[in-house]
Amino acid sequence: MSSGTEQDEDRFRRVYAEDFESLLAYALRRVAHPEDAADVVAETFLVAWRRRRDIPVAGAARLWLYGVARRVLANHHRGGVRRQRLGERLRQQIGASVADPGSEVAERLAVRAALAGLVEVDREVLMLTVWEGLQPHEVAAVLGVSPAAVRTRLSRARTRLRGLVGDDPGPPGHVLDVLTASTRKED
Amino acid sequence: MTTEERVDRLVRDADPGGLGVVGDLAGVKQALLEEIMSESLVRRAVGMPRRRLWVRRFAGVVTAAAVLVSVVPVSVVVRGQAEGGGVSPIVSAGAGVVFSPLAMEAAQRNPRLLIDRAGWTVAALYGFAEEQGMVRFRRGGRELEMNWYPAYVYADRYSGQLVDGPAKSVRVDGWPADLFQSLSGDFTVLLRPRDNVVVEMKTSGNWSRKDVDRVLADIVRVDARTWLAVLPAEMVMPVRERAARVLVDVSLPPGFDVAALDEIGVSDSYQFGVGVMSRVGCGWIAEWQRARASGDEAGVRRAVEALRGSRGWRVLRDMDRVGDWPEVFWEYADEVAAGTVRPGYVEGLGCR
Repeated sequence: MSSGTEQDEDRFRRVYAEDFESLLAYALRRVAHPEDAADVVAETFLVAWRRRRDIPVAGAARLWLYGVARRVLANHHRGGVRRQRLGERLRQQIGASVADPGSEVAERLAVRAALAGLVEVDREVLMLTVWEGLQPHEVAAVLGVSPAAVRTRLSRARTRLRGLVGDDPGPPGHVLDVLTASTRKED
Repeated sequence: MTTEERVDRLVRDADPGGLGVVGDLAGVKQALLEEIMSESLVRRAVGMPRRRLWVRRFAGVVTAAAVLVSVVPVSVVVRGQAEGGGVSPIVSAGAGVVFSPLAMEAAQRNPRLLIDRAGWTVAALYGFAEEQGMVRFRRGGRELEMNWYPAYVYADRYSGQLVDGPAKSVRVDGWPADLFQSLSGDFTVLLRPRDNVVVEMKTSGNWSRKDVDRVLADIVRVDARTWLAVLPAEMVMPVRERAARVLVDVSLPPGFDVAALDEIGVSDSYQFGVGVMSRVGCGWIAEWQRARASGDEAGVRRAVEALRGSRGWRVLRDMDRVGDWPEVFWEYADEVAAGTVRPGYVEGLGCR
């Protein structure tokens, strides 16, 4: 076989082994129904498999996968991703395991509702920073913006979130999930 | 704690991505990996039997199937001057060359796109007679792979490419197409469907956009005879002769029909081996099942001994250096020797 083909497959296997959990967590944070994360993960890795030749080496692979997943999610939110037969077992396991969001404590739901109120890119900058633990230059790579812009948006996101949550979040009432967050154009 | 840290902590505490509640993921993680690596979009779309995708690995040196019935010197037709003053690699078959009807029929269905520029050669080929296949051209360190699919997968292929950004319109031999560039710099050119076939080209190696444009301008669609004539000489070998080489030390199951191998079509040596040995393996397992069902103990022993001996067959050992298909074969051979075989062998070996 061509060594390139073998290397591509090995690289895909390695990336899958190392980054599957990160991608699943990424997806769980951004879908309305936890089991939909299985579709996003399956679709993302299917794209990665088809484009395994394109997967960057070393640590950049996870950022590249986040970038692919971001586009898959955007398509998902537009209703463009058909449910995959792929990942059915994962879907079932998530569905059977993850608690109904309605049973979560009010403070968490209030924070998520506040996140949903942020401008999309600001929200994503904050989530990638805090939930995915990325540095500004890594967030910049995922979103295709400059690190300076990331820092600016991060600062703005924190300020706005603090204003939305307040010092005492209190009962949130009806809470929108992150998935249903505003899709208004960025400012 | 600073204000920033306090906000971050609030957000962190609201993280819905904790995997602790999902349970042990090892099983589903492995299952999804196998699904992805063994199931292509097209295979799902057309309901083709699953076969481990790594049967598609290719040998570095390509030999292919028998399409030429008789050989006379091939006449070279110069189609244009190439870089460095060389001639076009495109030749046309002389009037005395007779291709088999199967090969001609398959070639008629192929996209039959060639790079009309000196130095480009066909490095790999499979699926010649099928609705989904691939031909890979190579020149130095650059490769251009042309995959063809049934036209109805076009929308899926197109949307799959959009993850890398919007398309740019290009033309290939006058036909409209869309050009995409991946994050790593490789290019994909997706042609609009034509004659119920969609072609997707992918570059690998060091390509600039200018390189892509130059090669796209050199791509021409040729007739079936020219397409067959351009294939490397080693691909043009009578099927019987090629099969005889492959089967030289292989025990054949009762009723094995060498003539039926014609339908394997043009392919590189690995894919030809898969086509031949699939029929051998399936034939022996069917014979083993028949003998067991009818109480034919001698027949059972013959099948077990043949399959047990498969680890020594040269064709499988050669293929094993290229890809994993022989390992699948040997898994089922071992099961037969142990007295039971999973029904999945039908898909695993591609039995028809």
